[in-house]
Amino acid sequence: MTNATITESLILDALRSVMDPDLGKDIVSLNFIRNMRIEEGIVSFDVNLTTPACPVKERLREQSRQAVLSKVPGVSDVRVNMTAEVRRPPAPETSRIRGVKNIVAVGSGKGGVGKSTVAANIAASLANSGAKVGLLDADIYGPSIPIMMRSSGEPEMKDGTIQPVVAHGVKLMSMGYMSGEMPLIWRGPMAHKALQQSLLGVNWGELDYLIVDLPPGTGDVHLTLVQSVPVTGAVIVSTPQDVGLQISMKTLRMFQQTKVPLLGIVENMSSYICPHCGGRDEIFGHGGAARAAGTLGVPFLGEIPLDSAIRKHSDTGMPVVLAEPDSVSARALSEITGKVAQQISIQAFKTIPLTIIEE
Amino acid sequence: MLTSPEQGATPAEIRKKAGEGIVIRWEGGHSSTFGARFLRGRCPCAQCVSETTGQRLVTDEHIDPGVRIETARTVGNYALHFSFSDGHTTGIYSFDYLRRICPCEDCA
Repeated sequence: MTNATITESLILDALRSVMDPDLGKDIVSLNFIRNMRIEEGIVSFDVNLTTPACPVKERLREQSRQAVLSKVPGVSDVRVNMTAEVRRPPAPETSRIRGVKNIVAVGSGKGGVGKSTVAANIAASLANSGAKVGLLDADIYGPSIPIMMRSSGEPEMKDGTIQPVVAHGVKLMSMGYMSGEMPLIWRGPMAHKALQQSLLGVNWGELDYLIVDLPPGTGDVHLTLVQSVPVTGAVIVSTPQDVGLQISMKTLRMFQQTKVPLLGIVENMSSYICPHCGGRDEIFGHGGAARAAGTLGVPFLGEIPLDSAIRKHSDTGMPVVLAEPDSVSARALSEITGKVAQQISIQAFKTIPLTIIEE
Repeated sequence: MLTSPEQGATPAEIRKKAGEGIVIRWEGGHSSTFGARFLRGRCPCAQCVSETTGQRLVTDEHIDPGVRIETARTVGNYALHFSFSDGHTTGIYSFDYLRRICPCEDCA
């Protein structure tokens, strides 16, 4: 008759000892436990996390299992099913893109630091983990996402809205589609209108994450983005050397001044491993971004080595996280994606809704 | 600049009171009440403040005392935008700016 003593509240009490390390609360208070069933000493339940890309998923699964097994007498087995539902930060309904839960800006100080590569790989990696992802290439000066994601088709207009192209499970829109092979020679107001149309005039459907690949620096596109929609957070990509970092700080400060939370800094081109001798060369220096993140109190998301695999797969249109997932660069990018997803979850819990109460 | 307290101003609650203006309760507890004419006379846009000299071109005395805020909306995460009854709509008032111009006795 041991079964009679196993109750849902006993199991929940046991699970209160399992903490989500990022949100700093236990998984019961966070309302993560769903669909609990108790049958003949076998307990099963879902742990509904805040992102499918959670880097501590397996650890939480094992901790949940052990907590119930060790604390509730009479339990013979525990079956933990890990699920995820990306939460959206609170924001006024009027100002957001319908169906899009989180907007993540990827920016850099100067060009050529691999910002688009990082954006494409974060998007592909999130989609690969099971999230619904969109990628907006807002780099009017060098729209490169269509090449990196090998999308040959162009978005079509249907019922007055733009239908995004889908590549590697990611919904794509690029400012580059607006002009074909011609450059976009735009003054501010044109860029402003084009970005608004790309944000609000595209049928994104339901998205957990919309990644926006910004132009380098700070300009019209950045201002339009932060003024048009509530941005969940920004990722800054920088190379390690001082000149790159110092310019990156300007972009970072722009996000601070417009109250866009900083999800963290990524150091790209961090080092080079010689394929012949295995020697390591730090071409642009090393660790500068981590130091800058430490000084500013911003999360450091990781470093990506210079790796010919990234270049090769970017040119052929298959993000390296999908094409060569075991390469050093892909592993670094996957780890960074997990950290970005963590930071977004933290923001979604931290943000307070900004609404104007009319009296 | 970035480390001064004004730069970290975050509103906890924003109210638009019909006929009176805007009341913002800040994180940390301070509360600011802004009248419509006061805000209109401190518009930070390029028509009201010279872009080259930073000199204020439009001040309280240029403003109709009966001016009203017709609509107020948030701009991204960082600012408010107002449409005034005199037709002026070009100012974007960042929360940091609003906190800095708080007209209460303690701040002014």
